[in-house]
Amino acid sequence: MEDFLFELYDLIQSAADGVLFGSTYALIGIGFTLIFGAMEKLNMSYAASSFAGAYTGLAVLSYFDAPFLVVLLSAVLSAGVVSYVVYLTCFRFIPVHNHLASLMASVGMLFFIDEVIIHATNASPLAFPALFDEVMIEIGPFGLRGDLIFIFAISMLSTVALLLLLFRTRLGFATRAVSQQGVAAQLCGIDIHRTNGITFIIAGMLGGVGGAMIGASVGMLSPLLTIPVTVKGLIVTVIGGLGNIPGAIVAGFLVGASENLFLFLRGVNERDMYVMLLLFVFLVFRPHGIFSRRSERD
Amino acid sequence: MLNLEGLSKHFGGVKALDQLDIKIEKGEIFGLIGPNGSGKSTTVNLICGVYPATRGRIIFQNEETTNKPPHQQLRRGIARTFQNIRLFENLTVWQNLWVAQNSKEDVAKQNPMARWFGSSAAVREEIEKILEFSQLAEKSNEPAGSLAFGEQRRLELARAVVAKPKLLLLDEPAAGMNLEEVEELGERIRNLRDSGITILLVEHVMELVMEVTDRMAVLNFGQKIAEGTPTEIQNDPKVQEAYLGTSSETT
Amino acid sequence: MDYYFGLSQTIGIHTLLGLSAYILMLTGQLSLAQVGFFAIGAYTSGILTTMFGYHIMPALLIGSLVAGFFAFLIGFPALRVKGLMLVVATIAFSQFVSLFFFNLDWRKTVNGVEVGPDSTQGFREIRYYAANGWDSGEVALFVWVIVVLVMAALWWLDRSRAGAVLRAVGEDELAAQSVGLNLTAVKVIAMTAGGVIAGLGGSLYAHSTTYVDHLTFSILLATFAIAYPILGGLSGVFGTLVAVIFIQGILVEGLRFLGDWRNLLFGLLIVLVMNLKPEGIIDARVAQLLKRTFLGGGKGGKHA
Repeated sequence: MEDFLFELYDLIQSAADGVLFGSTYALIGIGFTLIFGAMEKLNMSYAASSFAGAYTGLAVLSYFDAPFLVVLLSAVLSAGVVSYVVYLTCFRFIPVHNHLASLMASVGMLFFIDEVIIHATNASPLAFPALFDEVMIEIGPFGLRGDLIFIFAISMLSTVALLLLLFRTRLGFATRAVSQQGVAAQLCGIDIHRTNGITFIIAGMLGGVGGAMIGASVGMLSPLLTIPVTVKGLIVTVIGGLGNIPGAIVAGFLVGASENLFLFLRGVNERDMYVMLLLFVFLVFRPHGIFSRRSERD
Repeated sequence: MLNLEGLSKHFGGVKALDQLDIKIEKGEIFGLIGPNGSGKSTTVNLICGVYPATRGRIIFQNEETTNKPPHQQLRRGIARTFQNIRLFENLTVWQNLWVAQNSKEDVAKQNPMARWFGSSAAVREEIEKILEFSQLAEKSNEPAGSLAFGEQRRLELARAVVAKPKLLLLDEPAAGMNLEEVEELGERIRNLRDSGITILLVEHVMELVMEVTDRMAVLNFGQKIAEGTPTEIQNDPKVQEAYLGTSSETT
Repeated sequence: MDYYFGLSQTIGIHTLLGLSAYILMLTGQLSLAQVGFFAIGAYTSGILTTMFGYHIMPALLIGSLVAGFFAFLIGFPALRVKGLMLVVATIAFSQFVSLFFFNLDWRKTVNGVEVGPDSTQGFREIRYYAANGWDSGEVALFVWVIVVLVMAALWWLDRSRAGAVLRAVGEDELAAQSVGLNLTAVKVIAMTAGGVIAGLGGSLYAHSTTYVDHLTFSILLATFAIAYPILGGLSGVFGTLVAVIFIQGILVEGLRFLGDWRNLLFGLLIVLVMNLKPEGIIDARVAQLLKRTFLGGGKGGKHA
């Protein structure tokens, strides 16, 4: 009985840690979903631009020995810039109806950004600072890591900021209008290019938080993270429902928790396999996302 | 030939179609009219199996076909045209007809290998005949997307007919046509009926409907408000109200 | 000379990979799963030749069929998702396959040597060709005979009713259903065929490179698979071949002198091409032009 309890505690602990870490996945998922919502296209380079921001933050840290907040801020701002560049190169000029070309172009940017990072860092992993990593909050048999709580808090704050921006500002209103009815929005005088560009910047900045927080919780940044985070971010987006922000948030927690549980149960080599399987299960039972109401064929 | 019993379709809270009862006899040309949004296209889509019905039954040739998938409906002998032409634009005229030969007879005539990979003289003859009938023979190798509007409409009709349907659903085939074209269309529809096809004509263009149909039904807000011969419908005050929005005085 | 034989093998194998994605794109399914089937073919045939002494032909056949079988299984759930969701699902599938082989540990001692997939170490010693006295010229010929056969089959398919049906489904599913085409059957068959071709390519690949590991079957390769038909356009199989020659022959090899910088340039090049020619290098107009130039006059048969 005792063994079982310990197992159970470990499982719950893994899940809890996973949920906290999952908040970063939620950010990446929200970013993918924001861009999809705005342009009905996938930006495959999103995680890469997020990490580019994180790396810039790291550069700021090593050259200026700046405090964490400045590092975070520079990560956010530079990720926004990179994201805007992606917008220009992959979405601004390619015809609106051509999904394939934008997809391929964003894959090209994914490779490009990844290569720049590899060249800049000589492909070696770099340590990323973590805050509050000494702290441990004990709740009964469970311990909540301070650094994870911090990351969770920052991620959630960013999400709230994003939601406020989307739903309480004119800019956000324009973004939502464009995503729902692009032509009508244009006819109402909304500049669709400017709005989409800004959507990319905002999503990029959110991603910068995500990238930095992933770095903070893993303790390091490495170009080897780019593809796995891209894939998991996409999985979060799809499970949450394309274009569905609350879905992405919940899915982020779900994927984070599952990932950690699988890690605990099956080890790091097999962990990701089960995350993929999780996606397939969702696709079979809920192809339109967790919160979808559409169960009949279109 | 076709019975719709209490057919209903709800999209969330919206009742696109509410308890529709219609009987179409073999060899009829049956019209379905109504203001925009009255449920005409929904009816066609339900019969074809594009949408699942919320309630009610569809009985075709004494067999219940409610909610069966679209490709099966075609095999049973129900073909349709689309309001906004849906040709395979990058396929040639010939290919558009070729891929549509999917009736039970077509499938039975050849073994699968021959049907998918071979080409028989009989098949070619059939397609050529229909091309002749539709005056599209010279354009046989052109991509369907490059055809003129009138030609596209003829191809759309030809494609529906090549599968030798027993019931043909025409969804606003006269949209965008001038009077001369509408008359030609009427001729063609009558010819099709004479060759043994029962026709359900959903239409807005009154000249065509009144001319060509034997009987018709009128929908408004998803419900049938009248049924009868064209003359009866023309004089029905409920129909006038639905279209004109007023009760009584019409000059 | 060996170098050119090797290059031609690569081009041939990548053409098969591209064609497997091409046939799916005809039906409107953008699939990044092809690299997964490629991997299944590679490992299956490799295991058969190295661990069980199979002759290359049955190994190729079985490798392709096993890959096709899994493609068939994937075909059904793939129907439930469209467009970009399918892209994500297929990415996840390929990653899953890659991870599966990463964890696969199946060793056997043959003639005193330990062979077989060695999980993280990869699958080495796939030395069928060397062990049976094939030189690289013969291998290249072998690969290309197979590639030409597959291309011929697909070219012929394009002229048949089956080819038109595939394209009809890809163009307009609602219309296709309404003229009596069974979408499920068509799409699953296309997926299976794509899987067989990819498995064939993978089997050839494993034996040409003699070493495969999970890193080979990456998103990069999956992207190549769809890049070829996207670049080459969907008018016909030759487009894919030209795209492969262009990317593998000219870009990858020609830019080898750039060393490390080549990868940087590669991403930018994709971005550039997509902006300049979003419909592909060989779009419909270019295809017409080429046809007229090389085949003299639009004799146009009954095909698109």
